[in-house]
Amino acid sequence: MRILIVEDDAALARGILSLLRAAGHAVDHVAGGEEALSVSATEPYSLVILDVGLPDIDGFQVLARLRARGDQSQVLMLTARDGLDDRVRGLDLGADDYLRKPFEVEELEARVRALGRRRGGDAAPEIAIGAMTVNRSTGRVEVAGRLIELRRREWAVLEALAARAGQIVSRETLQAEVFGFDDPVGSNALEVNVTRLRSKLAPDGPAIRTVRGVGYMLDRS
Amino acid sequence: MSGGAGRAISLRFRLLLAMFGPLAALALVLGLLGWVLISDVVRRTNDRVLGGALGAIAETVQVERGEVTLDLPPAAFGMLENSERDNVYYRIAVGNTLLTGYADLPAPDISVLSVDEPRFRFAQFRGQRIRIAEIRRNLPRIDAPVVVQVAETLQNRNSLRDKLMIALLIGECVLVGIVLLLIRPALGWSLRPLSDLRGVIEARDTRAAPDLSPLRTGPLPTELRPLSRSFDRLLARLDDATTGMRRFTADASHQMRTPLSVLKVQVALARRGSGEALHEIEEATDRLERLLTQLLTLARADEAGVLPPDHEIDLKELSQHVISRRIRQAIEADVELLLEAGDGPYRIHGHRTLVFEMLSNLVDNAIRYNRPGGMAQIELSAEAGVVRLAVVDTGPGIPAELREMAMSRFARLQGERGPPGSGLGLAIVKSTAERMGAQLELGDAKPGLRVTVTFTV
Repeated sequence: MRILIVEDDAALARGILSLLRAAGHAVDHVAGGEEALSVSATEPYSLVILDVGLPDIDGFQVLARLRARGDQSQVLMLTARDGLDDRVRGLDLGADDYLRKPFEVEELEARVRALGRRRGGDAAPEIAIGAMTVNRSTGRVEVAGRLIELRRREWAVLEALAARAGQIVSRETLQAEVFGFDDPVGSNALEVNVTRLRSKLAPDGPAIRTVRGVGYMLDRS
Repeated sequence: MSGGAGRAISLRFRLLLAMFGPLAALALVLGLLGWVLISDVVRRTNDRVLGGALGAIAETVQVERGEVTLDLPPAAFGMLENSERDNVYYRIAVGNTLLTGYADLPAPDISVLSVDEPRFRFAQFRGQRIRIAEIRRNLPRIDAPVVVQVAETLQNRNSLRDKLMIALLIGECVLVGIVLLLIRPALGWSLRPLSDLRGVIEARDTRAAPDLSPLRTGPLPTELRPLSRSFDRLLARLDDATTGMRRFTADASHQMRTPLSVLKVQVALARRGSGEALHEIEEATDRLERLLTQLLTLARADEAGVLPPDHEIDLKELSQHVISRRIRQAIEADVELLLEAGDGPYRIHGHRTLVFEMLSNLVDNAIRYNRPGGMAQIELSAEAGVVRLAVVDTGPGIPAELREMAMSRFARLQGERGPPGSGLGLAIVKSTAERMGAQLELGDAKPGLRVTVTFTV
């Protein structure tokens, strides 16, 4: 899933970045509120991890302006402050979740996964499509009882398609959800990943169809 | 209130001392006056009786056929009888010739006696003091003046005087005693507003969080108003201090959370085999350490008001110390560290550790916010009454409109683009300068920042 980290502390941002990238997400990072607003206007982020204490405009304002322009991304607020007021304020402004620093890494990961599931309107961790089960909490994929080893990009493609199984996912959307903007991406990187994924799911897994000129679709059965 | 070594004298004892001295002196004066007055009254009254007896005797002195005769009236002696059995003596003489009575009763000097006017005097007779009343009469056809004397011993007078004096002394003692006995209840009653005040203060103890608002005492006696006002002022200062402290702790804990988060994240990554993580952990630990050191320095600078400020400091020597502490950091950052000063010495008075930390922070900033190949320079100069210390760097400087904000706590102007810092460096410098009454000024070094601290000598 495509994630934006808005955090002014470079070291912390680096840490969260590696953490989430290792989990197979396409993650971008900005350090300021204004920058976050301009980047999220053009990129389809599923989740924004938003620090409250930013140097230019604070996280609450960023959140308020995101929601004001109709942005439906999930927002996870990060704060170093103690007060209950902050939590209530963040949630009232339309934040989906809230995490206080210093946080447990497992908790951050779990919350990110939970938010990712909720995105498809289906909070269940496991999706079953035909002979395939995809566990979005553990990242485990099985086809007819056989464990499929996936690289993280392949996982990202599968997760994006599985969440919308039976629907066409446009090439652009898939591209934006799978790769961060500073990922070094060749022009056919998406095709390469889709092809590899197809061969790993074969022969008994669901098929990934190419809809020429539009995008891809994961068969429901 | 004072915790002196000696025991403080109780208020009751103070009042006792203050009252007892003057009271005793007053009683003494009263006693002396009483003595004079009583002696006078006793003498006058007894003299009147003695004079009466004298008159009665003198009246009976007559001339019969050219002879002086007299008829001593017993009533005259009766007048002089008293419970003390005073002896009564008389002597009647014509010129120096004794007519009747005690021949050895001291005779008067006739020339000083005026006619028919009784005179009184004390004398010594037969080993006793006596009071003599005497009168001179001129009788017809008798050439020599007739002198009549009546005298009495002084037992009655003395005993009367003593009785009166004793009565007076008893009266005085009772008065002084009552006053001294009254001091305790009077003091208790007078000090009741004070214990009411104490009650109001003690009531504060029972609350969970200390209530530092002004005391609500209701109307107070004039004498206690300054005390209550001072107490309220103390409370207000304490309130300021605790509020500042609370804000500081909140800021500090807020500031610790981010590096702690970094640590947690990187530890998790390290456990999963990330090679980068160790380096990141090291950096985060350094950051925490630096933050802690600076927080402590700031806390020390804040409370330095209570420390003795009177070290004599040579800024040149201090600068050399700071440079030797920071030189490794400067070399690593490829920044040249310089000291620009005359022969000196540049002496100021202040708290040595604080000034050292202040300069050390300034130099740290100058190295940290600089460019490779740049320069950080300490400049010292002295003018009449002031010593100026400036730290100049070749970094990006601080825009004029941000300089005020740069000195506040936890302000980090560059966000993540700048080098890692706690945002406390300039706050430490500012707090220290304020403590020492020195002027702090941020200026332009074109390019770079010039921080000037001006000490008044």
